[in-house]
Amino acid sequence: MSIKTDILVIGAGPAGSSAAKHAALNGAKVLMIDKKSEIGSPKRCAEGVSKEGLKALGIEPHCRWIAKELTGVKFISPNGTSVWLNEERVKLPEAGYILERKIFDKHMAMNAARAGVEIMVKTIATGLKRSEKGLIVTAECMDQSFEINAKIVIAADGPESRVGRWAGLKTTLKPKNMESCAQFEMAGVEMEDSNSIEFYFGSVAPGGYAWIFPKGDDIANVGLGIITTQTDKTAYQHLQEFVSNCPSTQNAQPVELNIGGDPVGGMLKKLVTDNLVLVGDAASQVSPLTGGGIISAMKAGVFAGEVTAAAIKEGNYSQKRLQEYQDKCEEDMVKTFKKELKVKNYLLSLSDEELDSIAEAFKNTEFEKINTKEIIKVLIKVSPKALLKLGKIF
Amino acid sequence: MKVNEWCMYCGECAGVCPRSLIEVRETCLIFNENECKDCRICIQVCPVQALSKEE
Repeated sequence: MSIKTDILVIGAGPAGSSAAKHAALNGAKVLMIDKKSEIGSPKRCAEGVSKEGLKALGIEPHCRWIAKELTGVKFISPNGTSVWLNEERVKLPEAGYILERKIFDKHMAMNAARAGVEIMVKTIATGLKRSEKGLIVTAECMDQSFEINAKIVIAADGPESRVGRWAGLKTTLKPKNMESCAQFEMAGVEMEDSNSIEFYFGSVAPGGYAWIFPKGDDIANVGLGIITTQTDKTAYQHLQEFVSNCPSTQNAQPVELNIGGDPVGGMLKKLVTDNLVLVGDAASQVSPLTGGGIISAMKAGVFAGEVTAAAIKEGNYSQKRLQEYQDKCEEDMVKTFKKELKVKNYLLSLSDEELDSIAEAFKNTEFEKINTKEIIKVLIKVSPKALLKLGKIF
Repeated sequence: MKVNEWCMYCGECAGVCPRSLIEVRETCLIFNENECKDCRICIQVCPVQALSKEE
């Protein structure tokens, strides 16, 4: 069996569905395949998105896939000192919604289908070779092996992306750039405010942070991400310790375990080659600071869909033509990611005691009334050496 | 490579394999053992210690 299409999208996560939908809306014949039998499951994500991000994408929040609307953020230092930020007072870039990813991802794939995308589930790409007319992807669905002839391939196959590597792009990540994550969805979580997300910093999660993202009054995603080169324990072992020590989870029980890698090293340098583009986690389009990547992945999907559909119309699938996609991603994301990387490196350079000092200094601060200068004054007091790492971020 | 029963096929091992030798399917991992240089990065990053080397 052989299939012909203009654009083949490999992976039906938010990046893939967004790319597929926008390529189809712009006139291309699009096939999207996913190796899983159910799109969106299992989730590998804390499920947070910003309201601003969804709005910018033109996506109307829907009660079927919004688990919780958030109004605040709480930062907790190693000794338990907390700093609250409230949306009513301060603009919070990461405040927004907690999604039900299993429904959200399917919803996005359904929207792609409605735009004219053909979808095959339980279908895995097993290889890629070049032909005169484009790329030939070998694939398997159940007991069937077949070839898909595509003019352009959009690789949205996650942080474990092999498709880009087959085409000669360097997508392999170093362990220091891959956060190893483990998360329980739990019931019986006792949160001070079930409308706020909580971040826990310090040695509780070496190289990353722990989180409690509420999905209901007593339901939450409780998880953490670590850099494995900075600890001898696994993410799961750190999670077990966190859950047994955190006051909010003393009476909580898990109903689901999620694990996975999060590419937090900043966007890959090269996202395009002849006939192929990378999107989403496969391109490391993830906030290095928060590890969040749903919005950036979907934005990249829009860019990829529009650029590849235009390339199809022009009959030009060269790297040079597809470079427009990379340029758009760089313009939209790279500057922010670089800043976030600096902030992250700063936070990770602080000891538990220094984090406690910062939390202590800011615990009663009214952030709407404080300016950058005053913030810097406090940070200098805590550690002038560490502050140098922030460079000219402010 | 021994893939223990509790592997959840998250793919983190495949993401860091410097030689791209791991194929992640929905419910199985396929290792190209012949090309493996025994760097053990895949074992190191697994969030649940599901991988171990068969000695």
